[in-house]
Amino acid sequence: MMVLVQDIKLAAKPLILLPMSQEEIKEIILRVENLSKSFPGVLANDRISLDIRKGEIHCLLGENGAGKSTLAECLYGTYHPDSGKIFFKGEEVRLASHQDAISLGIGMVHQHFQLVPPMTVMENIVAGTVHKGIGINIRQATEKVEKICRNYGIELPLNNIISQLPVGQQQWVEILKALYVGAEFLLLDEPTAVLTPQEIKRFFSILTKMTRAGLSIILITHKLNEVMDISDRVTVMRKGKLIDTVDTADVTQENLARMMVGREVVFLITNEKVPPGETVLEISDLQVVNAKHRSLLKDINLRVRRKEIIGLAGVSGNGQRDLFDVIVGVRKIASGKILLDQEDVSNSPPWTMLKKGIASIPQDRIEEGLLMEAPIYENIILGIQRCAQFRSGILFNRRKINAFSREKMRDFDIMAGSPLQRVDTLSGGNLQKVILAREFSQNPKFLLASQPTRGLDVGAIEYVHKCLLDLRNSGVGILLISEELGEIFHLSDYIAVIYKGEIMGFCPTEDTTVEEVGLLMAGIRESTP
Amino acid sequence: MISIFGLTLEPRKKTSIPLQTAAILVGLVAAFLVSAALIATAGANVFNALGYMFKGAYGDWDAFVETLVQATPLIFTGLAIVVAFRAKVFNIGAEGQFFAGAMAATWIGLHLTGLPGPVVWVLIIIGSIIAGGIWGFIPGILKATLGASEIITTVMLNYVILYIISYLLSGPWREPDQFYLQTAWFPDHCRFPAVVPLSRLHLGFIISLVLAAVVYLLLWKTPFGFEIRSIGINPRASRYKGIRIKKTLVLVMVISGAIAGLGGGSEIAGLHQQLRLDISTGYGYTAIIIALLGRLHPVGVIIVAIFFGGLVNGSTSMQINTGVPVALVHCIQGVVLIFVLTAEVLATYRIRRTEIDE
Repeated sequence: MMVLVQDIKLAAKPLILLPMSQEEIKEIILRVENLSKSFPGVLANDRISLDIRKGEIHCLLGENGAGKSTLAECLYGTYHPDSGKIFFKGEEVRLASHQDAISLGIGMVHQHFQLVPPMTVMENIVAGTVHKGIGINIRQATEKVEKICRNYGIELPLNNIISQLPVGQQQWVEILKALYVGAEFLLLDEPTAVLTPQEIKRFFSILTKMTRAGLSIILITHKLNEVMDISDRVTVMRKGKLIDTVDTADVTQENLARMMVGREVVFLITNEKVPPGETVLEISDLQVVNAKHRSLLKDINLRVRRKEIIGLAGVSGNGQRDLFDVIVGVRKIASGKILLDQEDVSNSPPWTMLKKGIASIPQDRIEEGLLMEAPIYENIILGIQRCAQFRSGILFNRRKINAFSREKMRDFDIMAGSPLQRVDTLSGGNLQKVILAREFSQNPKFLLASQPTRGLDVGAIEYVHKCLLDLRNSGVGILLISEELGEIFHLSDYIAVIYKGEIMGFCPTEDTTVEEVGLLMAGIRESTP
Repeated sequence: MISIFGLTLEPRKKTSIPLQTAAILVGLVAAFLVSAALIATAGANVFNALGYMFKGAYGDWDAFVETLVQATPLIFTGLAIVVAFRAKVFNIGAEGQFFAGAMAATWIGLHLTGLPGPVVWVLIIIGSIIAGGIWGFIPGILKATLGASEIITTVMLNYVILYIISYLLSGPWREPDQFYLQTAWFPDHCRFPAVVPLSRLHLGFIISLVLAAVVYLLLWKTPFGFEIRSIGINPRASRYKGIRIKKTLVLVMVISGAIAGLGGGSEIAGLHQQLRLDISTGYGYTAIIIALLGRLHPVGVIIVAIFFGGLVNGSTSMQINTGVPVALVHCIQGVVLIFVLTAEVLATYRIRRTEIDE
């Protein structure tokens, strides 16, 4: 038995917005006046003033830590601004919570999706909506959602379980959640991070359709080409300040980059290829299964030579994490072999892998790479703490450790007062440098780098790229796992593409294109040889 | 972020050391006020009672020495907790490990009476270390191999050892022709020597201080100690960086148990000279409070243990003079823990008025 409930709140909102007339297009849906928000020690938003027009796609561009997400969270009621005003549809609003924002028609899709994995798409969409009574008429709701999907051309299996959907589709569920409760204004925080290039194209075309129907969208990104592709206007932020809002048609990528970074940007450090050496790591016929015997990695064959970077491209969640875990030794393999310098190291424990010369940069530097509550010097010796060079007898020799740490801090340009400073006081770029300092210091044979530049600013990214190329040139083989295709193409000598735990393709970087790799990332293999 | 009654709690980015110290002091004052209220409800003059308590604990040299006697087992068990908690291994079994050590010490004291005193002392030290270590090893290996929660297993083993001892005391080990559940006394030459003449303060106190230094060196000056702390801070990163998590966890439990066991041995050999069920007033549990208040640092443990030893010691004189029951001490200890920990946590936040629309 299903209790029928008419949801007055939902019914009051027009579901499908009608095409607008010319003057309506200039209409301002959201105005921010002098909004400031500070966190202890950081002024995240400094007197931001901004207009969003009805029906536009407005990009918020800036490096990590520029304050884009903070601004979005203020507009969504997560944070309360310290000062300043927000006007929505001409009226000043105070957003005490998400509920307030949602009831006004503001929706947000976060970088980390807020879905319930074991529940279906529909259940996720209706869960948490404001209902009177105790039941939900799922059939009515389904019809409503289907209508929205048809209107915009979104293809989504509504009765499937979330955890079985690819990440790109999960994002649509998040967007539908907002549209279902009548959002007219969407905040999208880095939505393209989980999509392949082809999916991005399709994603953008649907967003355009939505804006034509009157939806207004703020799209947060740090990728210049996306801004150029989709936005009507763009607002650039840097270090909490709004630098400028411009019509996208009037600017070039270079203009934007300069505004974003605050200085001329040398886009790429040069990657001069070097002839590769002998094979250092060889993975053959690798199979990995999870506890329920579901296949995680299938028939992986990879070879990394010295003086060579192999880029492993793929949408996140396609087995990169398992491959990383297998190579560093924290996950067991079901069959197949891993050879390091011809020596079989399959299923060796992490300490053996480390000792034999496998260095690694984990994708989540805070959760997997660092002891955040410990000082820099302890993080630099983590993993090599038993080396005799740090001891006198059985006890640590702090003088030796400090000298070693100071040297590494200088070599890697780590901005900190002393090795005693706790790492949780460092910026993202400096945290990554601590990891680089540690991993490079033991003369590795092979480096496994997963998302080495995620969340870093332009300067730090350049630095990490330079470090990786220098390390390669010094004779180390590198497997670079990254979701940033630009990074893969720039640094790699060969590109491999992983999809659902399988290597879809492998070829020299100069013989392929972003489009080809994008198709492989989506699991589409072209029939041509 | 938490909002309540128009106030919002916001995390601070950094909590300065003066602020932390102030927070602890505020917590202590608040705990003191609550304790005073408790004393008042017991029907005594608060100032009188607290005066006697202070005098009884630190009023003169003899009182202070007796306070150290009371602090000794707390230092041992507190250190045991420090080692375990630093690895985020929640050993709630220091009580049982303490009794395991006491059991071994008693057996040695009763059976190896033919040997010269110092030899017996050394044997008691070694024996109680081994016994406590075994009692720590069991939950350690269960955790490492089967993933059994050490919180459950250590608590259960506390009961196991108590029942074993109850059995021994009611039969095999019972002093012949005695009504009480206790073993025979072992000879005086097997007893730990006094370190302050004519007092009850014994060798165990010195051992506990040495042990505190050893624990400090172990945790902060050796690679193994670094690994222990590293697992406590971030087990995932530690695993990726090749630290042997399981092996370390087992060793941590063994070391923690051994320290608590040595505490039990020291109490037997230094004070009681016989095994009874009342040799501990919950030292293994109080140790958790002590270790947490001592910020999981050996020096902190010594300071807090002496403070708590003073509470125990002073409360006797308070009871004699004012009739306020000694049992109140445990209450005060708990109150101190709650207030100081709360104050410490609150110090990491700042309170702001929430802006509300009218």
